[in-house]
Amino acid sequence: MKKYIWALLPLVMLGACKKDFENLNTNPKLFPTVPAPTLITQAERVLSNTVTSANVNNNVFRLVEQQWQETTYNDESLYNFDTRNINRQMWNFLFRDVLNNLKLAKDIIPNDPTIVGDAVKKNDLAIADLLQVYGFYYLVSTFGDVPYSQAFDSANNFPKYDDAATIYKDLLKRVDADIAALTVASASYGTADIIYGGSVAKWKKFAYSLKLKMGMTIADYDAALAKTTVLDAVNGGVFTANADNATLVYLAATPNTNPIWVDLVQSGRFDFVACSTLANQLNNNNGLIDPRASKYFKALDAVGKVLGADPGVKANYDSFSHAGDIMIAPTAPGLLLDYAEVAFYQAEAVAKGFIAGDASAYYAKGIQASFDYWTAGDATAFIAANPYSTNNLAIQKWVANYNRGWDAWIETRRLDFPVLYKPATGAFSDFPVRFKYPVDEANVNPANYKAASAAIGGDVVTTRLFFDKNVMPK
Amino acid sequence: MKKLLLVSLCFLLLSITQTFAQNRAVTGTVTGLEDGLPIPGVTIRVKGTTTGTQTSVNGKYTLSVPEGSTLIISFIGYASQEVQVRGPVVNVRLAMSSKQLGEVVVTGALGLSRTRNQQAYAAQQVSGDEVSKQRGSNFVSGLSGKVAGLEIRQNNALGGSTNVVLRGTKSLLGNNQALFVVDGVPMNNGGPGSGNAGTNNAGANTGTNAGTVESGRGGYDYGSPIADINPDDIESITTLKGAAGSALYGSIGANGVIMITTKKPGKGLGITFNSSVGIGSVDKSTLPTYQHEYGAGYGPIYNDKTGIDPSGYFLIRDINGDGKNDLVTPLQEDASYGHKFDPNLMVYQWDAFAPSSPNYGKATPWVAGANDPLSFFVHPVTNNQSLFITNGGENGTFKLGYTRNNQTGFLPNSNELRNSVDFASTYKITSKLTAGASVNYTRTDGIGRYGSGYQAENVVRNFRQWWQMNTDVKELKDQYFASGGKNVTWNWASPTNLVPIYQDNPYFTRYQNYETDRRHHYFGNVNLNYRVNDWLNLLGRVTVDNYTMLQEERRAFGSVGISAYTRRNINFNETNLDFLATVDKNINNDLNFKGLAGVNIRKNRYELISAATNGGLIIPNVYALANSKNAPAAPTENDIRQEVDGLFAGATFTWKKMLVLDGTLRRDVNSALPSYSNKYYYPSVNLGFTFSELLKQYSWLSYGKVRVNYAEVGNGGQPQNTKNFYSFGTPFGSNPQSFIGLTQNNAALKPERTKSKEAGLEMQFFNSRLGFDFTYYDAKTVDGLLPVALSTATGYNATYINSGTLRNRGVEVVLNGTPVSSKLVTWKLGVNFTKNNNKVLALYTDPSGQQSTNLLLSSFQGGVSLNAALGRPYGDIRGTAFTDINGKPYTKKDDGRVVDATGYYKQSPSTSTIGNINPDWIGGITNSVRVKDFTLTFLIDIRKGGSVFSLDTYYGMDTGLYPETVGNNDLGNPSRNTLAAGGGVIVPGITASGAKNTVRVRNDATGLYGYEHNPAANFVYDAGYVKLREAALSYAFPQTLVSKWGAIKGVDLAVSGRNLWIIHKNVPYSDPEETLGAGNLQGYQSGAFPTVRMFTLNLKVRF
Repeated sequence: MKKYIWALLPLVMLGACKKDFENLNTNPKLFPTVPAPTLITQAERVLSNTVTSANVNNNVFRLVEQQWQETTYNDESLYNFDTRNINRQMWNFLFRDVLNNLKLAKDIIPNDPTIVGDAVKKNDLAIADLLQVYGFYYLVSTFGDVPYSQAFDSANNFPKYDDAATIYKDLLKRVDADIAALTVASASYGTADIIYGGSVAKWKKFAYSLKLKMGMTIADYDAALAKTTVLDAVNGGVFTANADNATLVYLAATPNTNPIWVDLVQSGRFDFVACSTLANQLNNNNGLIDPRASKYFKALDAVGKVLGADPGVKANYDSFSHAGDIMIAPTAPGLLLDYAEVAFYQAEAVAKGFIAGDASAYYAKGIQASFDYWTAGDATAFIAANPYSTNNLAIQKWVANYNRGWDAWIETRRLDFPVLYKPATGAFSDFPVRFKYPVDEANVNPANYKAASAAIGGDVVTTRLFFDKNVMPK
Repeated sequence: MKKLLLVSLCFLLLSITQTFAQNRAVTGTVTGLEDGLPIPGVTIRVKGTTTGTQTSVNGKYTLSVPEGSTLIISFIGYASQEVQVRGPVVNVRLAMSSKQLGEVVVTGALGLSRTRNQQAYAAQQVSGDEVSKQRGSNFVSGLSGKVAGLEIRQNNALGGSTNVVLRGTKSLLGNNQALFVVDGVPMNNGGPGSGNAGTNNAGANTGTNAGTVESGRGGYDYGSPIADINPDDIESITTLKGAAGSALYGSIGANGVIMITTKKPGKGLGITFNSSVGIGSVDKSTLPTYQHEYGAGYGPIYNDKTGIDPSGYFLIRDINGDGKNDLVTPLQEDASYGHKFDPNLMVYQWDAFAPSSPNYGKATPWVAGANDPLSFFVHPVTNNQSLFITNGGENGTFKLGYTRNNQTGFLPNSNELRNSVDFASTYKITSKLTAGASVNYTRTDGIGRYGSGYQAENVVRNFRQWWQMNTDVKELKDQYFASGGKNVTWNWASPTNLVPIYQDNPYFTRYQNYETDRRHHYFGNVNLNYRVNDWLNLLGRVTVDNYTMLQEERRAFGSVGISAYTRRNINFNETNLDFLATVDKNINNDLNFKGLAGVNIRKNRYELISAATNGGLIIPNVYALANSKNAPAAPTENDIRQEVDGLFAGATFTWKKMLVLDGTLRRDVNSALPSYSNKYYYPSVNLGFTFSELLKQYSWLSYGKVRVNYAEVGNGGQPQNTKNFYSFGTPFGSNPQSFIGLTQNNAALKPERTKSKEAGLEMQFFNSRLGFDFTYYDAKTVDGLLPVALSTATGYNATYINSGTLRNRGVEVVLNGTPVSSKLVTWKLGVNFTKNNNKVLALYTDPSGQQSTNLLLSSFQGGVSLNAALGRPYGDIRGTAFTDINGKPYTKKDDGRVVDATGYYKQSPSTSTIGNINPDWIGGITNSVRVKDFTLTFLIDIRKGGSVFSLDTYYGMDTGLYPETVGNNDLGNPSRNTLAAGGGVIVPGITASGAKNTVRVRNDATGLYGYEHNPAANFVYDAGYVKLREAALSYAFPQTLVSKWGAIKGVDLAVSGRNLWIIHKNVPYSDPEETLGAGNLQGYQSGAFPTVRMFTLNLKVRF
C-alpha cells in the first residue's frame, strides 16, 4: 500500500508549485500609466467633438434651435430624444470620456516624469481644471443637478447629485483658483494642448472669458453674484479678437477630423436641411439678406435666400438649403468659446449695469466678429439695419451661435428670445428647456436619480433649470 | 452506454474461442427490442460449448456452429435468450432486463465510470444517433428538447452559435455556458464574435465582436468551435446538470458539463460511410407578411405647387425634359407610407434612373413590386460525407475518420465548408501499460456569414424595418447583375444624386460586402495508462485544444457608409495536464471502495490582433490594410492568459450495491484572482439509495433510487480584471492620445461560489416499460463576479466586483414509456419537463454603504434595457409602457390603455418593467415508433412564456410594411386616407377620465403603429412556442437482404426534417427563439433571421 502512496507524491508537488500568477493576470498590451499630456490631448478632442458634433445621436441642438431641420427621420426635430438615447451620449461623453480622463491627468501630473518643473505642473493642473469646469458648465446647464462632489470616486458607485446652483458657484471658485494658478511666464502642455498649443496667456484669457460667460448665465438667478463675477472677468482681460478664440483645428485624416464632416459628408447621408426659422431670419433683416446666409448654407435660391423647411415637418433634401462648405470641411475648427459671444455678453452686461461701456458698441463688435469668422465681410450696413436692442441682441446672438447649437440653446432659454415655436404637429413636448437624465441613471443609480428628479421639479424636458428664471413665451 | 461498456468488456472475454469445424456459418444482428437499435458487444455462445463470439459495433455477428445447436445470447442489462439455429441467419431482439438496470455503467465526471446505483446526481444521456439524425450544422442544437434542465437558444445564422445553459442563469453577466468535454478534453465553446463573452474555459472574453453582436449593433456570428465535432462520430452525450456531478472539473464545470463520448473501435475491421444531402427553405411564418397596397413614402410631405400631385406623396421633377413635371417615387424614403398603388399612375421609379434597366428613363405603373423581399431567400443546401475506418485487435485499436460538411445558407453568397480528419489509437505496450492518442483537425472556411443586428450588412433588417413595397426584389437582382455588380439601389439619394442614401441593393450587400473566415482547429490528447494491479490505476494525460482564426470583413466602394476592410487574427490555446490515480477495491463482500486523486493544470491563452483601414479604401476591390485612405490606426492587440492549478480527490463507498456515499474535494489556484483570494475549495457529497434492491419481490418495480447531494463550485471569473489600464488611440498629428479603460477594475476580487442542493427520485416499472426521473434542485450563486454597470458619473461604464446572489430553483422531470412493445411494432415515448425559477436575492453594497437595487445588463436600441433587479428574476426587460387609469405602467395590449388628448397612448417612464426573458417552463416530447425495419421518430419542443422585444416591429410597424398598418377604419374608409377624407384611426383605449377614446388620429404618414407613437411595451411579445422540432423516418435494410451484398454489412436509410412546423407562437413574423447571438443578453430581436426548415436524406453503409 505504502509504495502506491509514494506514487501520488509527484501530483502534490506539481500542484503546489509557485507561479507568477500576478504577471500572468496582466495584459502585456495595455498601459498601467501614461503621460498626462496624452490624456489632455484626447480629452480636448472629445470635448470639442461633443460640443461641435451634428450627430443625431449625440448633439441635436441645431435642430432644437431650429437652425436645421431633419429630412426623413425627424424624431429629434419633434423633441423625441429618447429613441436614440441622446441624453445618454452627451452625459457619457462628458462624464466618462472627458471629465474622468481630466481627473486622472490631474492625479498623474504631480508625479509625471514627462513634465519638468513645478510651475509647468501648476499650469497643467490649472488648465485641466478649466477644461473640467467648461465640461461641467454644459452638464449643469443641460441637466440641472448632476453628480459632482461624489463623481469620479472609485469607492462610491452611487454618486449623489448635487444642487445645480451649488455646483455652479463652486465652478466659479475653481475658475478663480485656476486663474490665480496660471503663470504666464511658464510653459504648459506645449503641442499636446491642441486648443492653444500650450499658451498660458491664452488660457488665462480663456479663463476670464469663461468666467464672463458663467457670470452672465446666472444674471437672472443671482444678479449680485453675476455682477461681481462679470466685472472681475472683464477687468481680468477677456477675449478681444477672434484670434483669442478657443478653437480646436481638426486634421484632414480620420479619426481626427471635424465631426460635422464625418456626419454630413463622409457618411454619405442627407439628413439635414436649413430650418425655416433661421432661414426667415437670415433672409430678411429689415430688408437685407444676412451676408452670412451664403456662408451658413448652400443651395440657396436665385436671389440668395436660404430655403428652409418648417420645423418638425419631413423635408426633401434637394428642395432646401443645406449646411455650407465652411463648416463641413474636415479641417473646420471646433469652436469652444469665441470673441463674438464675449462681445455680446459684454453688451448685455453694460445694459444690465454690471460693467461700464457702450452696449451698442459691444453689440456691433459681436456681429462684426461673427462676420469675420464666417468671412462675410464688413457688417456696418447690416448693423445699421439691425441696430442694438435687447431683442436684436438675442436674435443676433442666436444667429451668431449658428454652429454653436448647444450655446444657442442655453442662451435662448435664458433670454427667452427669439421665441422658437414648437412644431405645429407631432411634437412630443413643449419646447425643451432641459434634457432628461439618461435612462441608465434611473436603472443603475436609482435612489440618487429619484432624489435629483424631485429636487429639480421633475425629470422632464419642460423643467426649467435654476438660471432660467423666466418662462419662454409660447 | 451499456453497449459501449461491453465493447470494452470484449477484451476480457477473448478467452472464448471460435471454432471452425464442419459446421455451418450463422450470421445475424442483435437489436434491442425496445428501440430496434443494434447492440454491440453481445456475447453469443453455443450452448454446452465454449464456442462463442461477440457482436460488432453494428450489432452483427458471424459464428460457425454445429447444425441444430442452441445459441445463448447474453448482455448486461438485458435478459438472456436461447435460440435454436434453424437457418443461416439468426436475428435476435433482446429485451431489457430490469433486474440488472442498476449495473448499467454510466460515465461521470472525468470519464470515471460508475454503475447506475452508484451515481447520486442528475445525469441524462442522449445517444449519438439522436443528435446526428437531425443533421443540423451544429449537433448541439439537436439536444434541444431532449434533456431536462437544458435550455438551448440558437439563432438562425449560417453556422451560428448556440447558447447552452443548464438549470438557468447562474452568473449575472459572466459565463453561463455549459462546459463541453469531448473524450476527456475540455473544449472551448466561446466563438470569437459569437457574443459568448467569456465562454472559453479561461473565461476570457474571446468575443471580438461580442459587444456589437450581442447588443444588436452589428457584427458577424462566427459560430461556436464545438460545432467542429462530427455528429456521426458521437457515441453518446451525457449531461451532468448540477454542481455535484461536475464539481471535479473545477470552476469550468460550474455551469454543468456536457460530456461527449466518441465512437470507439470494436474488434475487427469496420468501415462506415455516411452520406447526406439536405435541402431547406425558410419558414414563411418567421418572416414578415407585407401589405401590398401602398408604396414608398413617409407621408404626404411634398408641396406640389404644380398640381399634378395633389396628394403630396410624390417627388415632382421634370425627368424626361419635356418641360412638364413628372411624378417620381420619393426615392430616398425607406418606408411604405406613400401613395396608394394605382396602375393608372405613371411614376418614375428607382429603375428609371438605372441605365442597365429596361425601364431606364421610363415612367412605370404605380403598383406593388411583383416580388416582395420573401423572394430574396434561397434554398439552403447541406452536403455531408464521412468515412470512418476502425479496427481493433489484441493489442490495440485505431480509428481514422474524414468528414466533409458543406452548407450554403438562405442568403445568396453564403457558404460554410468544414473538413475534418481525426485519428485515434490505443496500444497495449505491456499487459499493464496502455498508450493512447487522438488528434482531430478541422478546417472551417466561411464566406458571406450573415451580418447581424442593426447594420447595413444585415439585409434582413431592411426587409423587416425599412422597405418600399413598390420595389421588386427580382428586378434588384437583375439590375445588380446587369450593371456588372454595381450598387443599383431602390434607395437613391435623389433623381439628381444617384448614390444610395440609406440602403444598398441587397444583392450588392451580399456579393460585395461579404466576410470570409478560416479556422484551423486542432484538438486531441495523448495518454498513458498504467494498471498497477487489479485495484489501482494511474493515468497521465495531456490534452490540447487549439485554433487559429482569420476573420476578414469588407465594405465595398459605392456602399452606404465608408468602404472598409477589417481583419482579425485570433489564436486560442488551452492545454490541460492531468494526472489521475483511481482505486477500486472491495473491502469486504458488501462494501466497495472507489477512490481517486488527481492533479489538473489548465493553461489558456487568447491572442488577438485586429486591424482596419481608416477613412475608406483607395482602390476599389482590393481588401488589404495597405489600401487604406488614411494611415490605419494601430491594430488592437490582446493577450489574455490564465492558469488554474487544481488538486482533487474523491471517494465512493458502496454498500451491497444499493447504498452509495460519494464525496469529492477539489482545490483550485486561479491566476485571475488576487493572490490572497485565488485558492478555493469545492466539496461535493452525494448519497444514493437504490431501494428497489430491497423490493425485489415486487416484479412490477423494475428500479427505484433516491438521491440527495450537495456541492459547492467556485469560479474565478475572467482574467485581467484586477488592475486598471490605459489605452492609446490614434495620435492627433504627432500628439499621442490616451484614455482610461471603460471598466473600473478591482484588486479586491474573490471567487464566486455556487452552492447547490439536489434531490432526486428515479423509478422504473413493468420491465422498464414506464418510468420517471424527478429532480428538485436549489442552486445559489453568491459573490457573483461581474462587471456591474455604473453611473458614468463615476468615470466608468462598469466596475468589476463581487456582487449579488442569484438563486435557481426548479424541478426536472423525465418520463419514459413504452406503450407498445412487440416484435413487429415498438412505440416509445419520452417526455421531459423543466421549470426553473430564478431570483436575484441580493445585490452588492458599495464601499460607501449604498445598496444596489438593479444591475443594468445592457442597453439596447429602442430605449429598452435588460436588467437584474433585486427580488426579481434575472432578465427584466425595461422600457416605456402604456399607462393604466391610475397612471401606472401597463403592458397589456387591450382597452385598459390610457390615451392622451392628442389621441395617442400615454407612456410610462422608460424604467418600467415590460417583460422578462425567462420562460415559465420548457419541455420536449419524443416519440419513436418502429414498425419492422422502419422507425419514425419525432420531437415536439415546447417553451412556455418569456418575453422578447422586437426592434423589427418597433420600426417596421412605423414604416408601414405590415398588413396591420393598412385596412379600413371604423368608418369603413381606408385608414390611410387623410383625416379630411375620412381616414385615420381611433386607437383602442380610454381617456384619463376612463371614457372610451374618441380622438381620431392620422394614418396617412408614418408613426401611428410604430415607435413614434407607441411605448416599447407595444413591441414586447410572449416568446413561448410549440414546435415540431424534428422528425425522422429511417429504414434499416433487413439482414437477410444485406447478407447477399458481399462486403456490405448494413445499410440504413433515413429521411429527416428539422424545424418542420412552428405549431404555435405569439411573436409575429419571426421565430421566438431567434437571438442575436449566444450569451446572456437574450430577449431582443433586430433584423431577426428566419428559421430554416431542413429536409435531409441520409445513407449509412457499413462494411
